[in-house]
Amino acid sequence: MVRVKSRYLLCEVNVSDRSQLLLLDDRAVAAAVKAAVARIHGDYGAALCSIRFNVKYVNAHTGTVFLRFPKRCYRLLWSALPFITSVEACGQKIPCFLNCLHVGGTIRTCQKFLIRYNKQQLHRMLPKCKNKEEEEQIRREILNCSLKGGNKEGFEDGSESEEDEEE
Amino acid sequence: MRNQPVSVQYPSGSTQNGGDTSVTGGGRDDGPSNVRPSTERPKNPHQRAGWVRGHQKDGGGYAKEMPKLITAGAFARARSAEVRAMLKAVTVTTGSSHVCGALPKHMRRRAMSHNTKRLPRRLRDVANRMAGSKKKKEQAKSKSRKARRRHGNLLLEFNRRQRKNMWLETHIWHAKRFHMVKKWGYCLGDRPTYKCYRPCYRAMSGHCLLQDLSYYCCIELQGEEDKLLASLSQLTSKEAGPTFAAALSLSGRRQGSVMVYKAGQYPSQPLGPVTFLWRPRTQGSTHRQLWIWAHPIIKKDLLLELQTVCQCCEAVVPPVVPVVTPAEVVPTLGPEPEPKPEKNPETKQITGTKRKRSCKDASGPPAKKILGDGTRSPTTPVTWKSSSTGIVINDLTMEIVRYRLIGPQSHSVLAETLEAATDCDVRIMEINKSQSSSLWWPEHCKDESKMNLHQQQADVYHILKGIYSTGELPPGTVLGLTVDDPRLTLPTKKVKALPCEHAVCVCCGFVSEVDEEKRKELMLRGVSEHCCQSYLWEQSVRDNVTDNKISEQELNRMRSEVLVPGSRLSPTPLQGRVPILLVHQPGKQVGHEMSSWGAGWDLLLPKGWGMAFWVPLVYRGVRIGGLNMSLKHSQNKGAPHFPHDYPDCFAGVHFQEEQETELLDKFKRRPPAKRTNYIKHGCLAPFRCPWQQLAEEWELILREGGEDRKGDGQTGTATEADTEMEEEVTSHRDITVTKPPSRITVLRNTKSLRLLSGWCKPTTSKGQRHCRVRELPPLDRSATTSFLTAHGMSLVWVRLSLLSKGKPELHAMVCVPTAEDLQLLKKGPGSSGPQEPPHRDHFKSRIKRRKKGPKKAATSSLSSKTEGKESNPPSGSEPNPTTSEDPKSSPKSSSDRIFGLWPDPLPSVTSHCSRLTLGWVTQGDFSLSAGCGDALGFVSVAGLLNTLVNQPMEHRGMLLLRNPASLHYRFAKINIEV
Repeated sequence: MVRVKSRYLLCEVNVSDRSQLLLLDDRAVAAAVKAAVARIHGDYGAALCSIRFNVKYVNAHTGTVFLRFPKRCYRLLWSALPFITSVEACGQKIPCFLNCLHVGGTIRTCQKFLIRYNKQQLHRMLPKCKNKEEEEQIRREILNCSLKGGNKEGFEDGSESEEDEEE
Repeated sequence: MRNQPVSVQYPSGSTQNGGDTSVTGGGRDDGPSNVRPSTERPKNPHQRAGWVRGHQKDGGGYAKEMPKLITAGAFARARSAEVRAMLKAVTVTTGSSHVCGALPKHMRRRAMSHNTKRLPRRLRDVANRMAGSKKKKEQAKSKSRKARRRHGNLLLEFNRRQRKNMWLETHIWHAKRFHMVKKWGYCLGDRPTYKCYRPCYRAMSGHCLLQDLSYYCCIELQGEEDKLLASLSQLTSKEAGPTFAAALSLSGRRQGSVMVYKAGQYPSQPLGPVTFLWRPRTQGSTHRQLWIWAHPIIKKDLLLELQTVCQCCEAVVPPVVPVVTPAEVVPTLGPEPEPKPEKNPETKQITGTKRKRSCKDASGPPAKKILGDGTRSPTTPVTWKSSSTGIVINDLTMEIVRYRLIGPQSHSVLAETLEAATDCDVRIMEINKSQSSSLWWPEHCKDESKMNLHQQQADVYHILKGIYSTGELPPGTVLGLTVDDPRLTLPTKKVKALPCEHAVCVCCGFVSEVDEEKRKELMLRGVSEHCCQSYLWEQSVRDNVTDNKISEQELNRMRSEVLVPGSRLSPTPLQGRVPILLVHQPGKQVGHEMSSWGAGWDLLLPKGWGMAFWVPLVYRGVRIGGLNMSLKHSQNKGAPHFPHDYPDCFAGVHFQEEQETELLDKFKRRPPAKRTNYIKHGCLAPFRCPWQQLAEEWELILREGGEDRKGDGQTGTATEADTEMEEEVTSHRDITVTKPPSRITVLRNTKSLRLLSGWCKPTTSKGQRHCRVRELPPLDRSATTSFLTAHGMSLVWVRLSLLSKGKPELHAMVCVPTAEDLQLLKKGPGSSGPQEPPHRDHFKSRIKRRKKGPKKAATSSLSSKTEGKESNPPSGSEPNPTTSEDPKSSPKSSSDRIFGLWPDPLPSVTSHCSRLTLGWVTQGDFSLSAGCGDALGFVSVAGLLNTLVNQPMEHRGMLLLRNPASLHYRFAKINIEV
């Protein structure tokens, strides 16, 4: 069917100081991207960036960001992302750069990729553990990474009840 | 998109403080406790306000305080939390969040959301739960189809369904192929589901059409001949043709048909037409048996009437039910001997079946196929006898199966299907001599005289095969016969019965002179009296035959045991002899052309044998017709069809009312803008025929008509006609005595009909000048006046054939042509006829006004004014401005007014249009036999005579016909066929 098509970029915010990552904010990311695009591509880029550009998701703990660009001009906008060197959040300048991990047509594919990627990360961490306690924690988290049956059920019920409220 | 994970970030407001505190005081121990959402969230519900949108409920809440250090554990925890959030987002479907969304696109189907059964089974539960609140409760699950179709259960079900409406024996056969209608307490096939209008007509005129007429009710009368005749003579009149006492019928050689009136009421209060059949006399006995076949509508009235004239009010309780006390039956015997058969039996049977179902043991009797009348309770008396006259009336409804074969080849079909019964083997009989057989045929075989009779009947039947067409026989011929079970000679494939090889032999000259002589005699005299005897008349034989019928299953078993597959069973099983009666059905008897069209045979069988004869008949290539076809049959015959064309009978009136509501409903189903506006077409009553009003108005016109009609602006009739009319009126007035308005009657007096028929014909027509003109009195004033004194309020059954094109429809108007119209006709026969000027619809504006409300009244009145201007020119010729103005002045509640129809009461029906209305058409169609439009209907006798008198000789009998939805008049020739 006919629909508005977009590209979703799954980016990783790399910072030197991890604690600063927690300051991350969707508005801050959006401002940083806009500024970078305006700097690299001028007014034209800034204009493109104002149409349907959106930061869909920010995780301050992991530094994951979903960016939405229009499909028409996502390459142009993407090309400006490496020029981001810092994100200004909460009055602080966080030096960082964005690493694009995945480009997807839907947010779903990005999410799927992120799941795979994160799991991979955890599995990679496991052999590098320094002590027993750490290893135990990571192992537990790896096990946590899947949705339990009961969990799922509960979630569905929840969504249902939500719907009921909406109706 | 819904259900997406929300960004995990710290509120910007709290970051200042939180960031500081976390940096300063936050420990690594805080991490795990903060990330655990389940403990955190309920404790600090107020914190959520600052969050962007709130988390998933279990999706991990994050503390507002920032951890200072990064450890592997925290890192991993954050990752796993995110993975979970993402997983949830991925697994939960997007879009409408309905289960359908979970399906990949290529598996989605239309209407899945409405019918969960269209979903794959794994998703059905969820979908049901989601949609469950809206859906209604599921119906109670019925038994599986297999269980329902099991023989016993099926039979129970059939019996249950037969309780309300009677089923004919061929019901199942018909139900598979016909549109069934519930009529007159029966389930009858109306028309086949396949297209066969023309094939059926061709079958009637060329081969054979079969109908099941078992729904006709048979009433048996037994008693002394003179007493029977004396009582029955009250019901009929000699004036309307031969009665019950006609010599040929009385001998039992012919079937008669007669119009029955209420006792001594002729010519008013007719009941309806019946056919009757006397049983041939037995030697030296004056005890006679008579069958009267009547339509089920009039059965009740007829039975009542018969009981009164025969003084039979003593119901004989059927001996089958000893349980019922006589007290229960006796009270019903008085004035109304037929107790309501619906209520009592129904409840009884219901309780019976319930008991049977509740205790499922084998003690209950196995379900039996209902033969005969399923709706009647066993306690209803079917026999009445009179102590004074000794007459016994027996209600044989559904006791005798009646099939009608119509068409010239009916006898070939019969000859091929039925074979005269073969004798029983003498040796077997000798073996059985000691014990007398329970079957009737072996018993009969022992009797020499009976076998002689059978031989003679078989000979006659054999001769019958040789005739060329069914119509050659004298009408109403009866032949009794005993035949073999026709199932034994069932062909393996459907074949078309052709004229018998006997006829071929005639051409070759093989047949002896004797046969030829016999055939001629048969054609001239019919069957001799003793051959009309049949054992079908005897109750005991009928019951015996019905009870001992070989079941289909048994027959098939016997067939399978035959040595050569497909060969005939021999010897014929002893049970396989059936007494039947063949009754010849006359075809078209009236009129000149197509005489004896649609003749055929009626086949009377004992009950229970219906299907055994039906299927073999069908296998002989006959067409099957329903009720629709019998209507067409009588229409082509030019005969009135009961109850459609009997407006003076109660049944006919009732039928007309039903028809009106039906047509009105159909009319009202259309949106008003798409309806025919009958007011504009000048059609007062498109759905019914106000016969009474018509007759009264014509009476009035004739009595005081002249000046009134002039005043009405009737410029149509020529001036000389007017003067003549005035003369007539004056002469008329002397004679007519003012009498109270009586009910209409249909003219059935044969003498009068013959007179009228002669008058209708143009005297200058060349060629076929009718021979009986010599005895006709000339048509003049005095003759008409004398005729009208006798039949002033009568209607007469006429046939109208159109001269040029046009197809008359139901309730088309029969009108009087004016002198100018006849001039038009003189120019050329191909002239199409005059036009009716369109009428004004005064009601339309009023309906509009009512809808718009009072504020718009002014504009609508204005519009009506303009409307009036438009149609002013024709208003000069508009016959009766007073009448058309009349409803306007009368204030009426117009709530139930239907757009496009005249509201009651109707204005003058005769003079509403520019041509005077004489009557209406009750059956009109393109006649396949005549090749032109052909209509049957009634006209007022008074109007008709008046018209005929005023018409010039060469155009006498020329009338106009106009369909209700048309403005075009067509010329039609009137014919009264006697």
